[in-house]
Amino acid sequence: MSRLAELAPALGLTPEAGPPGELRAICASASFTDLAARIAVDAHLSDLFASVNPEGIVLTAVFSLAGDPDWLLLSTLLSGDRFPSLTPRVHAASWYEREIAEMYGLVPEHHPAPVRLRLHDWPEGMPPMRCRLAPGERAPRGERPEVVPEVRGQGVFQLPLGPVRSGPQEAAEFLFNSGGEDLVAVWPRLGYKLRLVERLAEGRPVEAVLALAERLAGTSTFSNGLAFVQAVERAAAVEVPPAARLARTLLNELERLHHHFGAVGRVADATGLLVAAAQYAMLKEEVLRTCAALTGHRYSRGILAPGGLAAPLAAEGMAELAGRLPDWRRRAAGLGALLEDTATFMDRLEGTAVLEPGYAAQHDLVGPIGRSTGVDRDVRRDHPYAAYAELAFEVPTDARGDAEARVRVLLAEIGQSLGIVQQALDRAPAPSAVPPDAPLGAGSALGWAEAPGGETLHFIELDAGGRVRRWRARPPACVNWHPYAHACASGNNLTDYPVIEASFALSHAELDR
Amino acid sequence: MSRWIVRGLRSGVRTSPFPAREDPEANDAPSAVELDVRGLTARTALAAAEACPTDALVAEGDLRRGRLSFDLGQCILCGRCTRLAPEAFRPVHDPRVAVRARGRLSRRVTWSAGGGPVEEAMELELTGRLRERSFRVFGRSLHIRHVDAGSCNGCESELQLLSSPYYDLARLGLFFTPSPRHADALLVTGVVTRNMEAALQETYAAIPEPRLVVAAGVCAIGGGCFAGGIMTHGPLDRLLPVDVYVPGCPPTPLALLHGLLLAVGKAEERRSASPAPVAGAGRKGEG
Repeated sequence: MSRLAELAPALGLTPEAGPPGELRAICASASFTDLAARIAVDAHLSDLFASVNPEGIVLTAVFSLAGDPDWLLLSTLLSGDRFPSLTPRVHAASWYEREIAEMYGLVPEHHPAPVRLRLHDWPEGMPPMRCRLAPGERAPRGERPEVVPEVRGQGVFQLPLGPVRSGPQEAAEFLFNSGGEDLVAVWPRLGYKLRLVERLAEGRPVEAVLALAERLAGTSTFSNGLAFVQAVERAAAVEVPPAARLARTLLNELERLHHHFGAVGRVADATGLLVAAAQYAMLKEEVLRTCAALTGHRYSRGILAPGGLAAPLAAEGMAELAGRLPDWRRRAAGLGALLEDTATFMDRLEGTAVLEPGYAAQHDLVGPIGRSTGVDRDVRRDHPYAAYAELAFEVPTDARGDAEARVRVLLAEIGQSLGIVQQALDRAPAPSAVPPDAPLGAGSALGWAEAPGGETLHFIELDAGGRVRRWRARPPACVNWHPYAHACASGNNLTDYPVIEASFALSHAELDR
Repeated sequence: MSRWIVRGLRSGVRTSPFPAREDPEANDAPSAVELDVRGLTARTALAAAEACPTDALVAEGDLRRGRLSFDLGQCILCGRCTRLAPEAFRPVHDPRVAVRARGRLSRRVTWSAGGGPVEEAMELELTGRLRERSFRVFGRSLHIRHVDAGSCNGCESELQLLSSPYYDLARLGLFFTPSPRHADALLVTGVVTRNMEAALQETYAAIPEPRLVVAAGVCAIGGGCFAGGIMTHGPLDRLLPVDVYVPGCPPTPLALLHGLLLAVGKAEERRSASPAPVAGAGRKGEG
């Protein structure tokens, strides 16, 4: 019995078993916040979201515990449009509640900063996830209420960066407060890329929503698609054959490789180390070409299907991968060692944008950013999916929380991923048969995968016809952006900013959705 | 530092020979899907439209009488139609898929009792500015201001690789510029979101005339899978005059290079991608 399964009865909850690895408990709306806070004393708050059901609005909190294979989903049917905020007791709930407030028009009472997160000039009183608009109808533009902290002091000025950036980068805006050299405070203004994918999914068939899940963010295409498709499979109790599970593992790691090669290359670029940036860009391009040879798409889009893969991995692609892998291992090891031996590079990272482990822990961070603050979490190991339970790998951590720790974790993860790819190749995934169309009916389930940026959670509810009634996507950037401003204000210079941003490698598309 | 220089030199030249020559090594990923009407039947047309997750394939009617619209400007290259009916829908590996007129990305076939699908002659919808004069005014170089109007970051990932040794866009006289004042062209990726619309318009207004607009990726061209949302605008050419459309999801780096070269008149459109429909000369379906 898992610790979460033991914890629930102690709090007076009687969890029912959901799909494997998922415990579900329902409580009265009056006790929801208190119960959630008590569970979160030990457990990570992994998600908190609202859904519109025929009976009313349901709040769901998702918890996980280190070393426990189960997830606990605590839900309640709200009796009105208000609920006591969890944030005063669980800091990690803050952004989830702000999102619930702006998207569903609910009021988390006593939230310390109940301001909008992603909405800009959307009119008050028409919550986007609940309002009705005719096809093609546009909501009028309203005010853009926001609270921008103003820093006062001699010579302090405010400098906006974005939303149109200097190079081909994602749209994002950061307000710098600086006294000239020092970066006093950075205020990210988010939501420029808000597409509201979760609303777009409502009522659509699973296949169409899979295409949306694959397009939450380009460099985490496969892992978000995988988490979604695994949620569908769990909701409909569809078995995935071992060959397809191994192939999915292989593609999940190739995605981590091209993402991490790109991320380390951008850090090198930010420090002016152009040869290293070019070398890592070449590695990224080669991984993308190999993905294309395997799946027919550079980002492995369109290869996933409920029950397995939509097409077997191409034999020529497997041969190409086997041919390239030793070279990648040699070059990645050589480049990593050379970076660590380059003083001009390491000096820029050491002590830059520090997230102290104690502060970071309040945010229940995930992925390489969490692991660089000492959080030893990885759903590949803690909640094994695909074929990870059969493969050997380590989860590298570093507890210093600065840019150097983040880059060292990325470099170590590159080594681990290359090792996993090698093991998957050694087992030579047999061409997996294309799954027959599985009949999908009503059901709901959580799906997860370790995306390059950390764990991504997808919760889906299917209606009786197998269409998507609710899709909740919680990719890692939703969690990891939360402490970003704090890290920027840890005594850095304006010129450190490109290094800070690159070392976090946070996705805007994932957050804005 | 000298060790980095040695390492860089040791890698040798990796740059793509495109556009002077084809680059088979970069072409594993298809840049587009091509419709071959000869391989199409009413049954496969209806099935493919059913399987298509966007509006790239839209069918109306039934087995006896119906119509299929094929719009490459909405095709996210998911591969469903090419797997379902490989004799009718084929991946295109030639990266020269960019076009100057939106209408060139669309095809339409019809079928009726007693006959297989035939191509319908279409008026080219010139939503883009089909400019007679080419932009040779820009001479040998083009400075590009990129705006992410709400992409998934797939397009930016590919755009960033254009500066990598494999593609090296500077060798073709193409440069990204931070300032719209220095730009000759606006390259837009992503479906235009409500929250990015003002920034996009202001950037366009800041670029001096004559200015080119390139819509890169199906999100910018037709909205892709984000079309019809309450936070998104759909096609870029409803907001700005578009000169070049580069389909793909995301467009491959070579397709982007071709699109940019097409914009400055240093490349031609790929003719076979859109056989000019001639009234009454549709090919008879075989199925």
